[in-house]
Amino acid sequence: MSMEEKIVEELKSILGDLGEVWIQREKRVYAKVPKNLVLPILAYLKDKGFHQLTTITCVDWIKRGKFELIYNLFSLYHENIHVFIKTELERDKETMPTAIDIYPMAFDYEREIHEMFGIVFEGHPRLDSFILEDWDGPPPMRKDFDTAKYVEEKYGVKDYTEEIWKRMEQPYREEKDE
Amino acid sequence: MSRVKEFDFEYFIGPAHPGVTGNMNYHIWAEGDTIIKIEPNLGYLHRAFEKLIERRMWIKNFPLIPRICVPDPDVNEVLYAMAIEKLMGIEAPPRAQYLRVFMLEMSRMASYLFYFGGVAGTLGLYTLPNWSIGDRDYILDRFEEISGHRIYHIYQTIGGVRRDIPDPGYIERVLELMDYLEKRLKDYDKVFFEHPIFKKRAKGVGVVDKETALKFSVTGPNLRAAGVPYDVRKAEPYLVYDRLEFNVPQVFTDGDVYSRVMQRRLEFEESIKIVRQVMENLPEGPVNIKLRNPFELRVPEGEIYVKVESSKGEYGFYLVSDGDVKPYRLHVRGPSFSHGLQLVRHIGPGTNIADIPVILFSLDICPPDAER
Repeated sequence: MSMEEKIVEELKSILGDLGEVWIQREKRVYAKVPKNLVLPILAYLKDKGFHQLTTITCVDWIKRGKFELIYNLFSLYHENIHVFIKTELERDKETMPTAIDIYPMAFDYEREIHEMFGIVFEGHPRLDSFILEDWDGPPPMRKDFDTAKYVEEKYGVKDYTEEIWKRMEQPYREEKDE
Repeated sequence: MSRVKEFDFEYFIGPAHPGVTGNMNYHIWAEGDTIIKIEPNLGYLHRAFEKLIERRMWIKNFPLIPRICVPDPDVNEVLYAMAIEKLMGIEAPPRAQYLRVFMLEMSRMASYLFYFGGVAGTLGLYTLPNWSIGDRDYILDRFEEISGHRIYHIYQTIGGVRRDIPDPGYIERVLELMDYLEKRLKDYDKVFFEHPIFKKRAKGVGVVDKETALKFSVTGPNLRAAGVPYDVRKAEPYLVYDRLEFNVPQVFTDGDVYSRVMQRRLEFEESIKIVRQVMENLPEGPVNIKLRNPFELRVPEGEIYVKVESSKGEYGFYLVSDGDVKPYRLHVRGPSFSHGLQLVRHIGPGTNIADIPVILFSLDICPPDAER
């Protein structure tokens, strides 16, 4: 039995019918779990030796009305396997308990996701502006964020055609000191 | 920090400062000259790559994507091409894979030369920056010959690389450059790596031990300098790294600035070895797969995580496709996100204010790949 299969067996035995577990390809194991089981699974895997939270990815599935969070865990002690814990959030109830007690690295990843997608991490001590300073628009990485409309509303659009024509009509004059 | 005394000082390193590799700001509180708190500030190089990538066709992202990291741009191109190829189920021809390894290793060496110069500069040893950045230019010359560009090469494409090596003499010129760099490394030793000032200033400073490194997701040369011989090229060989002979040096494993610099100096020799092998064993054949119409390209639905060993650490792309002509989502996992933020907050307090530039530079932080 390969290491991937062992991890899948283990996760299946804890999750039962509550989640799906599968091997995507070599050294990549995926698990899809409900929102309230994410933290217990992360804590369990950390105890098992998955010491590294490589990243947290957020995907906005706007057609389904969901946000998907993907926790990317990595272990040196399990033949360098990545385990991806996936969970889905409703688009209108975008809250998630924070994982910084389990993985301190989650601190900045969660701040970034909060800023870019507007997901609120409950219990996070510092969800202030991170990369986008003085940002007042909607979270920009959401699929329904319209860049052109935002620029139009924030900075306004000015038509310079008339001004340019006027300038071109003026004859060229040398400036003289009088 | 709530406690502010008369003798507390506040310092701002960056956003434009030679002590940091890019435009990034560190806000430092110090008591006398001992640091009590350090807080990184991002946002000076945010260019919204992830959003821009979602709005362009698959093939049109190649000129954009190397700009994520300036000193080591080729990893981005290679990762993006590798991710698409894996989703489409195609594989680049062997000659293209060898050329990709060649580009990655040359880029790694260029990045390390930048790094050596930077570390020496922060210690006030200004001979090495002039030499190493001058020698980096010879690498850029070879890049220009093969791809037409010096910094951002835009050399990769879906299913291979854009063009073959210019002429048979190119291999000789690359091998000549490798001999030159190997010879120069001996000069670097004399002027910097064996310099008593460097040893005195770097040994025992900015220690990231094994436990801290594993806790804070440290990867790459910084992790190997802490005594963990983990290298993506060996652990999960991509391209043709499993056919090449090279070592993961484990000589300096204290995790301090000295170990981190010397780790990279030893890996530089391994890169020279790899480039020589690639150039001597370059197989014949085509360099790319001809796609029918790249502008009509649709990548099958799916998601994938690919990673490579960059000069700074593990660099990963999480790519999601929904079967459209554009990528649905691309998430960049840059190594600087873990090295530059949470790790610095942890190791910063307690160090001397004079050591901060060299500690920050020795971690090889590249802010663009943290904020994208």
